[in-house]
Parts: sequence; structure tokens; C-alpha cells
Amino acid sequence: MAAAVGSTEFIVAELVEKAISMAWKAHKTPEKHFILEKNRKGEPQQVFISFPASGSAKDWYSQKPFGELPIDLELFPSLKRIGHNEPAKLNEAFQARFQAILSKSSLETEVKDAMDKKRQIVFTGHSSGSPMAILATLRTLEKYPTTKSNGWVPPVCVTFGSPLIGNNIFSHATRRENWSNFFIHFVMRYDIVPRILLSPLSSFDQRFEPISQFFNPNHKSKSFMSESVGRSSVSSDFFSVVMSNAAKVTSHAASKLLGTTDSAIETIANFVPLSPYRPFGTYIFCTGNGKHVVVRNPDAVLQLLFFSAQLSTEAEVAQVGYRSLQEHRTKLQLNLGMENFVFLEQDQLENLPLIDDGSKDDISMACNDLGLSPRARLCLRAAAGLEQQRLINEKKLKEKIDSPEVEENLKKVEKYKQVMELKNICYYDAFKNQESSEDFEANVKRLQLAMLWDEIVEKLRGYELPDEFEGRPEWIEHATRFRRLVEPLDVANYYRHERQLEAGTYLGKKSGKESRPSRYRLTQRWFEHAERRKMEEDYSESCFWAEVEDLSHITINNVNGRVSGSFDKDVVNQTQERVAKLVHRIKVWIDNKVVDKDVLLEGSTLMNWWNALPSQYKNGLSIKSPVF
Amino acid sequence: MANNEASPFESSDMLATFVASTPLLAESWRLCNHANTSPAAHRSFVAERIGRVAYVALSGVQMVGGCWYETWRNMVALDRMDDVAVFSCIREGEEPVMVHAGILNLFNSLLHSFKTQMLEILENKDTKSVVITGHSIGGATASLCTLWLLSYLRSITSCVSVLCITYGSPLLGNNSFSTAICRERWSGNFCHVVSKHDIMPRLLFAPITPLTSQLNFLLQFWQLSMTSPDFGKLAVQITDKEKAELFTAVMDYSEAATQGDEEGESQGEASATILFRPFGNYLFVSEFGAVCMDSPAAITKMMHLMLATGSPDCSIEDHLKYGDYVDKVSWQFLTQGNSSMQRSIPESSYEAGLELAIQSSGLANQESLIIPAMECLKATRRMGPSPVLNAAALAVSLSKVAPFRAQIEWYKALCDEQDEQAGYYDSFKSRSCKKSMKVNINRFKLARFWNDVIEMMEKNELPHDFDKRAKWVNASHSYKLLVEPLDIAEYYRKGLHRTNGHYMENGNRARRYEMFDRWWKDRTRRDGATEENSERSTFASLTQDSCFWAKVEEARDWLDSVRSESDTNKLALLWDKIEKFEVYANQLIEQKEVSKDVLAKNSSYSIWVGDLRELKQLREKLKVFPHQLTSILDGEVVP
Repeated sequence: MAAAVGSTEFIVAELVEKAISMAWKAHKTPEKHFILEKNRKGEPQQVFISFPASGSAKDWYSQKPFGELPIDLELFPSLKRIGHNEPAKLNEAFQARFQAILSKSSLETEVKDAMDKKRQIVFTGHSSGSPMAILATLRTLEKYPTTKSNGWVPPVCVTFGSPLIGNNIFSHATRRENWSNFFIHFVMRYDIVPRILLSPLSSFDQRFEPISQFFNPNHKSKSFMSESVGRSSVSSDFFSVVMSNAAKVTSHAASKLLGTTDSAIETIANFVPLSPYRPFGTYIFCTGNGKHVVVRNPDAVLQLLFFSAQLSTEAEVAQVGYRSLQEHRTKLQLNLGMENFVFLEQDQLENLPLIDDGSKDDISMACNDLGLSPRARLCLRAAAGLEQQRLINEKKLKEKIDSPEVEENLKKVEKYKQVMELKNICYYDAFKNQESSEDFEANVKRLQLAMLWDEIVEKLRGYELPDEFEGRPEWIEHATRFRRLVEPLDVANYYRHERQLEAGTYLGKKSGKESRPSRYRLTQRWFEHAERRKMEEDYSESCFWAEVEDLSHITINNVNGRVSGSFDKDVVNQTQERVAKLVHRIKVWIDNKVVDKDVLLEGSTLMNWWNALPSQYKNGLSIKSPVF
Repeated sequence: MANNEASPFESSDMLATFVASTPLLAESWRLCNHANTSPAAHRSFVAERIGRVAYVALSGVQMVGGCWYETWRNMVALDRMDDVAVFSCIREGEEPVMVHAGILNLFNSLLHSFKTQMLEILENKDTKSVVITGHSIGGATASLCTLWLLSYLRSITSCVSVLCITYGSPLLGNNSFSTAICRERWSGNFCHVVSKHDIMPRLLFAPITPLTSQLNFLLQFWQLSMTSPDFGKLAVQITDKEKAELFTAVMDYSEAATQGDEEGESQGEASATILFRPFGNYLFVSEFGAVCMDSPAAITKMMHLMLATGSPDCSIEDHLKYGDYVDKVSWQFLTQGNSSMQRSIPESSYEAGLELAIQSSGLANQESLIIPAMECLKATRRMGPSPVLNAAALAVSLSKVAPFRAQIEWYKALCDEQDEQAGYYDSFKSRSCKKSMKVNINRFKLARFWNDVIEMMEKNELPHDFDKRAKWVNASHSYKLLVEPLDIAEYYRKGLHRTNGHYMENGNRARRYEMFDRWWKDRTRRDGATEENSERSTFASLTQDSCFWAKVEEARDWLDSVRSESDTNKLALLWDKIEKFEVYANQLIEQKEVSKDVLAKNSSYSIWVGDLRELKQLREKLKVFPHQLTSILDGEVVP
């Protein structure tokens, strides 16, 4: 009787049934931001929070063609690409509505109360109520990260006929955080709403408002079921527009999945606005024949959104157009017995049968029930193929990083550092001076180690690694060790060659371009994200040397400036602040043992700069004493 | 999939679906039709704006009396269009780029008005992209117009996107033309829609000389029909026998064209009769769907195979049916289609994709054509890793060649320290430093690496935005600044300037450097930053003009000429050049844009400056004692 969805054991029939009833119930009180009910029988006890749908075009689209904007990272700090620091995009209208709910309702207190009492919150919604449920869930996941010790129960989100709400990074980030299983989206085969945001608002040409009353569950119009308008060309036109835009997005995505290298695809993509929205979480397609098809691969879901609504003959268009509206409004009645769920996971997708060969196994039946053509099935295989390729890419990198050579190279650089320390030289300075053959050796190791990380960065940039990659502890650990040990050498090399004169400073905040290699920029952010810290905006423990070099450049110049009579007061003030910050940070880093004390050796770039620093910058601080 | 890196899927059919799902075909065809039917547009074009996309349609009714068949298949070289250089990538020893003479004439007659229209469109800041389109001969002129626009936009480094969509366009250029478009990475800017049986796009495979007058009637028939379907009847009809002859001739020659490919001798004299070659992308449309491909060999083959399913009559009528095809493919996505197909789908993903592509191309009913069509698609399969993976692998290779660069940097520093005080350019040129041999080997290794990068780019094996990525733009730029002076040194060391002219002339400079110049230039345009000059307090570590030394060599040549030149006009000219260079060099030095090796005591540049000073002093004296001219120049002074 309990329908376990994959590994997500918490989805039970009772829960979904309750969610359905709550989702539709909320529509009856559209003036309330949400409705709440407790279920004391559950284990753990549950709290259901459901959001009503909301009406007009402006609640779906803000001005731009697709109405998306970068997500508010204050509310959702995890929803971004970590390394590239690129926020996910979210539908602006949905975000604004959610922010209004947060500020005007008791939602946050209710959530806090439930979390404190270790209840499981089930957020739910139907139609445009679903995005609110999704965002409330995400907000709760961000705010109440569950650990073994705090006993919090992660929330669940169950939506029915939800529109798409975020872009590929939205999906990427939720997968990386392992949140996909907390989001269950039920979609009826022909339901128009999950496909609507694949179209730009302009393509509806004023038809959005009139048609939205047919799919808006709040609308009191009784005319829907009875009146002919639902069956008229209005609905089939609307359906055609939505499908033609869905076709653009999905065939563009499919061409890439299938590996086209034809450059025409890039040119043409410049001419047609393509929707940025992508599915995320776990989709459950209800075939209409009693089967529920569970798919998690977001590329596969996108293809299914199009192909499952494709017509078998053109004559069907009127009937399907009508059905696409009707299926959205009708309250779901599902048979949630375990036997009705069919899972299309990685394995099943990779080996999907391409044609209906009459076999009666679940997978074949599910594909037939969704009306999937051979072309559609090929696209699903390709979606799985991409994921498979990413896993293979990661595996290959894993083999490389675990190879004895890499470990040996790291050991050699560590040794170099120790040897120099014994000579009372910080390895940063030794490397910068490049006087001995050991320095040269260290440079070779630096380059060899950089190679691997450059490859990783290149692959990440092209989404050629699994979504989870940047969140995996073993990679973060490798990266942090590499960064802390080797980046000082990169900085030393940079200033040794006086690259700052050509390309600006290593950190280059002023000119807006950074010379700091991405292998360090990205990996620092992984670390900070994993530790749930604020992103350091200027420099970190592995590249503070660059700050030392820059400050030293400024203070020397300003001393000279004073001689020539153009002493700059602002520079002094700013510099004082920077000096204070640096001194403070170095102290903390040394105390926390992420920076070694060798940086304080007499004669190091740091100490030389400090000793020569005019006292007006020091502001009474000292570098040596707090440490030793 | 395992270790096999070949693409596991076939995408030609899905790509065509994507193209067909956009409004581009419907909009451009509508405008083509408008250009064909409105008399005002004949031999000209019409323009329209839809949102931020500007559409320009060239009329297919372009024929100028009898001159068409006289120039049938005549080709002329194309290197500049209206003073804009078109291709930068033709290599020595390759066939020159040639295009159809008659079409080029048509284009030239339109150029002035087209250009005016285009500049007006581009002036409008709302213009984000431009579609240039045309049916029949209008398609071929549209291609040339697009080419002009692409070259022009490149010369002003603009970022407006351009797409050319042609319908039933005749072939336009030779194999070099096709290759050059591909190397410039413009293939994706051309989409040629060709219907299953249309004979027009295939006509130019055949030398039609015995049939020229019939051909002329046929062209007339098409053009009149385009103007209005009823007008077609006014044209002189050609007999069924003549139609059949034409059809057979085109069938035979298009087959011959594919055989050239199969024997791998398409380039060169062996296929002298096959002058024309497809370029860009082809979107083949049939009643069952469409396929999109970009390999000239596969396109040639497909043209032949699809024509083989037609008849003389329909090969002529199909040229006028693009409206129907566009209508059909634009709505095909709504339904699953292909339901009438009886053939089974193979279990392997790749084979299944092939089968679907065959069905879409409308060849599935012709048992004998299926195998060759599959072979043709298979030949286009990507066999290596995907572009993104190639780029990642290149990042590794770049790190691997980094030590070679580091050694050259080190060599440069070493030369600065040496007693000779000549700088690395001169030390390398005279091979006076014993590390020079090693550096020369490194120079070769780096050149090979960067040439490979460019070759991969041109073969479309790298991501489309590869040349815009900071990592590669910066790496190539600093490579160029460091190593090109050594290439120049080697050039003059070997005395190649005496046979081939100076380094900066006639393509003596390696093409990679010109590419990198362009990448660097485009970068500044993208970032919106003009070459920002944060003032340098010390000399640059590398001279910022990588051709500086070549300029020095030329200037030295001029100085030598001054000494032996007696013609006062020529002398004045030489002095003018010398002084210009002097100003330029001083400016670079003042801004500290040169590295210190330029100013080394015994560098070619310093010596040149010394010579110049002496010569100037002489000139001053000459002004006072002009009669001593010959004696001084002949005797005491010249070393």
C-alpha cells in the first residue's frame, strides 16, 4: 500500500492523497496565502502547507520574453553554479509572489514551529500554486540543513501540474545538493501548464488572458466544462502555439544531446528566443491509463514534456487541445498502488526499446501509454547517454587524481616547502627568486599539477561532469589541498615575471579582469560553499600573497608620491583598511593552521613589506607579536 | 559506448526539426515570394523588419537576357568584394577561390543599392540579426550578399548575427570556395533549402553546352512562373525529350561528382569537369520531413540520390514548390509522422537514427538507394571526441607545451644579461647564444601546437566560442608576442626576404599570427574596452607589437637604399617612410610598450638608430654642401 518512489521511501499513498486534497482545497480560499493542516497520525508527524493558484498573465510572465531573472541568492544561496558563481535564473513573477508571501504571511513562523517540533512539512500546490510550494521547500532546505545531530526532518514538495520555474542551473544546483528526491511533480500526459513557460509571452499575442481562465483553477466560470469554447479553435490554437515553442526548445536540446557539431545550430539559436526554463526534481507522468512514469533525468523530462503530448495524427488537434486544458483543471484521482509506478532511471533510459514490439513489460507499456515515437525514445536514450558520458568523464578524472604520480607531485612540492623552511626561507620567496634547481623542479611539478585541474575546469565549464561534482567532498578535499599548497607558487611566478604590469594585478579587482587562474578561483568557491561560508570577495588563504604584493606596490608608490608632493589621502585611508584586514586575516589563518608560520620568516616578502611599511599605515598593528 | 568515442547518435534529422520549428523558414519564404511576385523588386530585393530581425529577400527574377547561358559555368576568382577582403585562409598551392561569373555580375550590379540598404539596417541599433534570403538565382545572389555582409561585419568587428536562407539556389563556387567558407567558420551562416527533386541546385554539376537554348527556355519558364503561376504558360515550352535529356545529363554528372569524392580526388585536376561544390548547410526537404547536413561530400551524394527518385517533369516543377514544402515541414513537429513507414527500426541507437534520417529524406521507399544513403550519412559521423572534450584535452596539451614557452622566456632574460647586449632577437638571429638551438626546437614545437589548434578550429572540432575564451585568447596572444620575433629573426637569418620580399608582405607571416591578431582585436570589442593603457612604469616584458622587428628590418632596408639612391623623388619617399617608422618606434618606447631587449646596446634597433643619426647628420651637411654628395656616399661613410 505504500508507494515508495525509488529511494525516496517517504512518498506514501496517503501523503499524496492528502496533498491532492490540500492542493485543490487551497483554491477555495484564494485570498489566503496558504492553508495549513496537521496530520498527527504520520511518523514523523506531518504538517501540510498548500498554496492557491493565482490568476493573470502578470503572475506568470514579467516583462521580458520569458520573464526570468537571476535568483535572489540571499534567499536561496545554494541555487547557483558554485565555481562559476553564476546564479540560477528564476521566473520573476513567481519569485516576487513568493517574497510577498514571506513578508506578508506567517509562513516563516509556521515553518519554524514545525521544524522545531521535528515535524515533516509537506508543501503542496496545484497549477500556479506549485511554484510557491517549490520555493517554500527550497527556502526551508536552505534554512534548516538537516544533520545527524539537529534532528530536523527535511521537507517534501508535491506539486500537480506545476509550470516550469527555473533554468538549467536551477536544476543543476538542486541535483548537486541532492534535493531532487524532495520534489515530486505530478504531470498529466496532456496538461498544458507544465509546457506553457517554454513559450515567450509574445507568442500568445494577447491570447494568454482569455485562455488562462480555462486553466486557472480559481476561475469561477462554470462555462469551462460545458461551453463549446473549450472545444473551439481557441484551445487548439493555444495548444499549437505552446507545442511549437516546446518543439523549438526540445529539438534544440535534442540536437545537442544527439551530439550535433553543425555550427548552424548556434547561428539559428541567435535568431529565435529559446526558453531558458528547464524541469528539475522528480517527475511523475500520469499516462491516463493508470500508469505513473517516474523520471528524474532533467534532459529526459524536457523531451518527455514535448513528445508525450505529440499528436499521432493532425486530426487530433482539436480534441487534444481541449484535453490539454481539461486535464490541468480536473482534480487528480490516482491509483497510487506501487504496481502502477514505472521507473525510467538511467539504466532503463539507456536501453529503452525503440519501437512498440508488442511486449507487455512495464517499460514498453509505459512508453506506449505516453505515445512515444521512435524518435522520442532515441532522444530519451541520448539524455541518458549524456549522463553516462559525464559519469565516465568523472571516473577518468578520478583515476587520474588517484594516480601515484599526482600524489608524488604533491609530496614533492610539500617537501620543497619543508626544505626551504629548514633553510629559513618561505617557499613563496624561494620560488619567486628561482635561484636553485629545486625551485625549477617545483615549477615543473606546479605545471604538471595544474594540467589536471585545468582539464577539470574545462570540463566543468562545458557541463561535461555530473551535476553533483562540485559538491562531492572528495573532490573538494583534493582541490583544497592542491590550492593551498600550489597557489602561492602561481602568485610568486606571476610577480616574479612582473605580469601585473601587463595584465594587471593577480587578483585584478580594479580592472574587472582577474589573472587568477580559474583552477583556484573555482575551487576556492567549492570549499567555501561546502563549509557554508560567505564567499570571500577579494582574496583567500591561498592567494593572500598577491594582496601583499599589491599593497607593497601601493605603499612604495605612495611614499614616492609624497616626495613629489602629490600625496594621496584617500589611498592612505583605503590602504590602512586593507592592511588592517590583511593582518587580521593572516592571524586567523595561522591560528586555524590553514596558513603556515613560514610566511613570517624574516626576509619573506610579507615581513620585508611589513618592516618597510611606514607607520601611518600600520595603525598600531603588528604582525609578529600576535602570532608568536 | 565504452571506449568508442564516435558519436553514438545521428543528429541530421533532429537538427532539421529544429530549423523547421523556428519561424525562420516561413518568414523568409513569405518574403522571397513577395520579392518574386512584385515587379518593383525584380532584379532587386525587398526588405522587412520583424521584431529585431531584419529580413532582406533577393528576387529570383534576375535574368539578364541572353547573357546567362553564355556565362553558364564560367567561373571567376573572388578575393575582394567592394574593397573588403573576403577570405584570409587560402593557403599557398591551393586552387584560388572561384565563383560563378554570371551570378557575381548580378551581385555586383546590386551591390550599391544592397549596401545602402544594409548600412541603413545596421545603423538601427535595434537590429540584432539579419536574414538574407532568396529563391532560385535570388538564392545565389543572396549567398554573395551574405558573404559581403559577413566580411564587412568582420572588418568593423560587429556582433550582428547573419543567416542566409536560400531556396533551390544553383551552386555558386568551387571547392576552394567551399573550403574557405568552412575555414572562416561561416558554414553555419548558410542554410540552403533544397527540395527532393529540384533540378536547379544540381544543374551546375553538368556542362550543359549542347542544351543551352533549352536551358534558357527553362529558366524563362521558372522566372515567369515565379512572377505569377499563370505566366509560366507564356514561356516557350521545352519538349519532353529535351527535359529527359537534361535530367539524364544532370543525373550522370551529379553521380560523377560523388564519385570524385569516393576516390578521394575531388580536389585537383582529376575532377576538372566538376567545377562546382556545395558549401554551408543544406536542408533537404521531402514530403516526409527534412534532414540537415554540412559536409560537402555528403551533400553532393544526397543531391544525387534524392534526384534519382524523381522524374524529368517533377525535377522542373519541384523548383516552384518551396512554398508547399515550407508549409509542410513547419507544422510537421506537431505529429509523430512517418507512421506509414513499414520499415523496422534497428536496436542500435546510431543505426536507428540513420533509419529515421532516411525516412525523413524520403528515400525509404527506394530499396536500392537506402544503402548508399546510409553510407553517405555514416561518412559524416563524428569519429573523435566531442568538441567540449577536445577543448579539455587541449587545455592539457597547452600545459604540456608551457615549459617550452617558459624556456624561451628564460632565454630572452638570459640574452638580456649577456655581454653582447644584443637582445634575444639578434642573439637568435646570429645564433650567438649557445641555447639558440634548443630555443629553435621549442619554437617549432610551439608552432606545431598552435597550428594544430587552428586546424581543429577550422575542422569544427572545437566549441563554437573557443576563440572567444579568455584563456585561449590570452595564451595565444602572449605566445605571439614572445615567439613571433624569433620567426622574424629566422626569416631574415635565412635571407628569405631577398627571394620572397619582406616578412610583412605577401602572406609571409604565418597565418596563425593573423588569426591571433583577430582574436585579440575581437576581445577588446567584446569587452567594450579600447586598448586600455594603464600607464606602464617599466618596460613591457614583451614588445606589444609582435611585428616590431620586421618593421625594423624593413626600415634598415630603407636606410641602405637611401645610401645608394640618387633619384631625389625616391629619396624623399624613403625618408618619409623612415621618419614615419622613427616616430612610431619612439612612441612605442615612450609608452614603454617595448621590452628592454629592443633598447639593448647592440640590438638591430639600436644600431639602426645610430645609423639613422649618422645619416641625418650627413644629410644636414649635404644641405650645406650638396656638391659633395657623391664623394661622401661613395667614399668615406658607407661601411
